[in-house]
Amino acid sequence: MNAALQFTLQAALAIHVLLIAVCVVRTWRGENVVDRLLGADLIGALTVAVLVLLSLLRATPMTIDIALSIAALGVIGTLALAKHLAGRGRPEGGA
Amino acid sequence: MTALLQGLAIVAILVGTGFSVVAVAGYIRLPDVYCRLHAAGKVGVFGVTLLLVASVALGAQQPGKAVLLLLFLVLAGPATSHALASAAYRMGLGPRAARRNDLPPPPPR
Repeated sequence: MNAALQFTLQAALAIHVLLIAVCVVRTWRGENVVDRLLGADLIGALTVAVLVLLSLLRATPMTIDIALSIAALGVIGTLALAKHLAGRGRPEGGA
Repeated sequence: MTALLQGLAIVAILVGTGFSVVAVAGYIRLPDVYCRLHAAGKVGVFGVTLLLVASVALGAQQPGKAVLLLLFLVLAGPATSHALASAAYRMGLGPRAARRNDLPPPPPR
């Protein structure tokens, strides 16, 4: 692995960590509940990006498994919460 | 060949990081929920996908898992975006910056 690739990976990792911090602040100050749920989904996607970059930098085979499970759990959680928000207050059996 | 693949990986990492930066800037700056959904959907579908393309081009140890994660992200990103937009519509959050709105009001709960 040459120096240019190493530098690119480290710079991309730093940028993604900075983006996660910015998203946490923006989600904290979100204006409604769908906005905050969207921010949480965005933080999950950026976490997957950080884990993929770590798996490239450190060459540990475990990291990509953690990225897969975080992506799957995040998608399931976001879908369930969005369905809950869409049908809140409806009688049982409603969409 | 190795140098070519490494160059491809560097370009993919730079473009994917650029997509993520633009998406987060859109999530901060855009006016309402629907515009922010448009911006934030780009992280999963373009940002992480290009990083995974770089990972496969560099010869990662388990390329099958990277391809699996890529396919999963491409399938799941539009589904979550659609679920969030549907939730916002049913909660009665209207678009803020639209000149005209052709959607009927959401059905009563």
